[in-house]
Parts: sequence; structure tokens; C-alpha cells
Amino acid sequence: MADAPEKTPAPRTPPLPDEAAVITRAASGDRRAFAQLMEHYQSACYGLAWRLLRDPDQAADATQDAFIHAYRAIGSYRGGIFRSWLLRITANASYDILRRAQRRPSSPLPDPEEGAPELPDAGAVNPVAEAARSEMYRHLEVALRRLPEDQRVAVVLCDVYGMDYNEVATMTHSALGTVKSRIHRGRLRLRELLTEHRELFTA
Amino acid sequence: MLNQDHPDDERLSALASLETDATSDATLTAHVSSCDRCTDLTSELGALRLALADLPDMKPSRPLQLLPPVESHGSRVDRVGDWARRFFAPVLAAGAAVAMVGVVGTAAPALDQLASGPSADRAATEEVAAPQASAGAGSEAGGEPAGLSASADTLGSTGGSVTGESDDAADASPRVNDYGTAADSQRDALGEGMDEAETSQQAASERSPWPMVLFTGVALMVGAVLLRWILAPRVA
Repeated sequence: MADAPEKTPAPRTPPLPDEAAVITRAASGDRRAFAQLMEHYQSACYGLAWRLLRDPDQAADATQDAFIHAYRAIGSYRGGIFRSWLLRITANASYDILRRAQRRPSSPLPDPEEGAPELPDAGAVNPVAEAARSEMYRHLEVALRRLPEDQRVAVVLCDVYGMDYNEVATMTHSALGTVKSRIHRGRLRLRELLTEHRELFTA
Repeated sequence: MLNQDHPDDERLSALASLETDATSDATLTAHVSSCDRCTDLTSELGALRLALADLPDMKPSRPLQLLPPVESHGSRVDRVGDWARRFFAPVLAAGAAVAMVGVVGTAAPALDQLASGPSADRAATEEVAAPQASAGAGSEAGGEPAGLSASADTLGSTGGSVTGESDDAADASPRVNDYGTAADSQRDALGEGMDEAETSQQAASERSPWPMVLFTGVALMVGAVLLRWILAPRVA
């Protein structure tokens, strides 16, 4: 049988060392503590928004909206992984923008090869391995941008950000079966798009 | 081993995500473990999932504002400005509606008059003409013919006395004058009636509430705009 992957992806932005205390202070109205949290997680939120929206300006707007929503809602935050909580808010803000954009007359899709932001340097220990990883990320981002929107949203939320099917279904107002189908078809389409670079993923 | 009867690729994707219904499907797992093609595909999909889950975060394209602006609870002027801003649109709309009602109410009588103008004029003309016509008819029937017959009689019997004729004419003339006087008096009466009508119309228009309604609407609109402009805080 195949090598089964872990269900929950490893968090890319690690939690703050004293995150619980900072959250408590932010929830009690400490604006500086809230700003500290947002500064720490802004790259995670922006990355999610960019992958959903494929537009840097819209992604920044969605992230900004998410911060405002989070500021209003942090008083009612009831524990759990703060990053996931914030990413859910960001995903909702991004999806709102996506739906508004769908209602407007369609504009030509951006070139998948263009507009991708620079990925942060992971701190290269092995330059060759890091170069290969960077290459893999770049190909993945391009392939993700080429997916149909419904499949991209489902794959990004589920596979990139580790949300479960129910969460994705709620967020996208879709049936559970529809979400599963979109994710599976999206993965298969990604595999096709990455056929030429298969060695990067199987190595 | 090669098995041509492969399961659906989406089922393999489900297996790659460790979905319970796929992992507990004995037929599916047995097939995958014995089929190179399905093993490879499931393995690739699993690796793809790992790669996706490993995608890094991204730096925002522009500096983001980490905190929303501080909500002002401050000065009284701010609160009044807030109040003015909140009520600006409803008051402006209400003012516009009241002004519209005022305009319609004020213009309605004039429009009515304009719409029924020709027929009303005709009626008034007929009213003025009717007494004159009756006066004229009276003079035709009893006045001048009688005078003429009298003069004819006078001519026929006496061989024609100009003075007699003139006397008759002189006799007839006061009758014509009488009719003229009657028409004048009727005209005067009609004029007085019209004056009264104008006066009553003027009084009615003075009593009409519509101009006041119009004024109130305009005042509301102007007031709303002024309040908004003066009191609302300037937001950059």
C-alpha cells in the first residue's frame, strides 16, 4: 500500500512562545498584544488569501479584512489552535471577496506563471536540496493557479491548510460529497499538471 | 501484478488521504497492494499532499495595518457628528419626500386650471354672452320692429313725417339704452362675481397648507446638509 501522509500538515509559522498569554491579553483589549499576534501570523494569512484569490492586492485586502474580523471576534475566542482560528477567518474573508468577484463580469485570468510572490528563504542548510524545494514550491504554485476555481479552493483549504472536509463544506456552502469530489479531482489534475516534474515530488 | 480492473482514481485519492471509508474498503486496499499502477498513483497522490502541506507562508505584498483604527468614544462634538452622519440620509430623504408632496400640492390647482382652461373660458364667455344675447333677442322681438312698424305706419298714414319717425326713433332709443344698461349691469354683476371668485380663490390659496409643506421639506433638506457639513467629523 502507498505511503500514507499525515492528515494535519506541519504548521509553517510556529506558534509564539508565550502565545496563550498574548492571546489572553489581546482578548482583554490589549491592542499591542493583538498587533503582536497579527504580525506573527500575517504571512500565513496572506499566503492563504493569495492562494485562494491569485491576486496580491485582493489578498492583502482579504488579510486586512481578516484582521479586523479577528479584532472584533477575539473576545469570543475559546481556545484551540490560534493559527487555525485566524486562518478560518482569513479563508472566510477571502472567499467573500472571491464570491463578490464572481458576481462581477469576468476578467481574464492572470497568467499562472506571473504574479506569484517571492517565497521566503527557508534558511538554506543544503543549497542543492533547498534549490530543489524552491523549484518544487514554484511548480506547485503554478499548478495550483491552473486548477479550476472550485477545485483550487477545496485543495488549498484542505491539503495546504489542513482544514477538514466539513469545514471546507461549511465555508464554501457546498455539500460534503461535492467537496470531497472537488478535492480528489483537484489532486488528480495537479498530478497531471506536474507530470513533467514528477521527480521533485517522489524524491 | 497488473490488474486492469482498476478502482476509480478518486477512490485512490481518498485512500491517499486516509479516509476511513477507503481504508476500511478491503477490496480497494487489496487491489492497491497488488496493482503497480494503483500503488504508484496512490503513492504519488500522497507525496503531492505532503508537498502541498509543506508550502511555505508568504510575505504580504504591502505593509498591512495590524490594528483597526481606534474607535472614538471622545468628545461631544464627535458624538453629535456621529449622530448627524447617521441621520443625514433619512432626514434628507424625508425632506425630499415632504418637498415633493408640497410641490405636487401647490401645483395641483394650477395644473387643474390649466387642464380645464379652454372649457372654463368657454363657459365664462358663454355666461357673459348669454345675457347680452337675450337682451339682443328682446330688442329684435319687441323693440326695433315695433319702432319700424310704427314708423311705417306713420309713413303710410301721414305721408311721412321725419320728425314722427325721428320721434319714434327717439322713442326707441331709450329702449335700446335700457337694454344696454341692463347688459352693463349684468356685466358688472358678472365682474363682481368674478372678483369674488378670484378673491375666494386667493383666500383659498392663502389658506392652502401646500406651500408650507414645500417650505418644510426644503428646510429639512437644507438643515440636514448643513448639519452634516458642519458637525460631521472630517474623515481622511
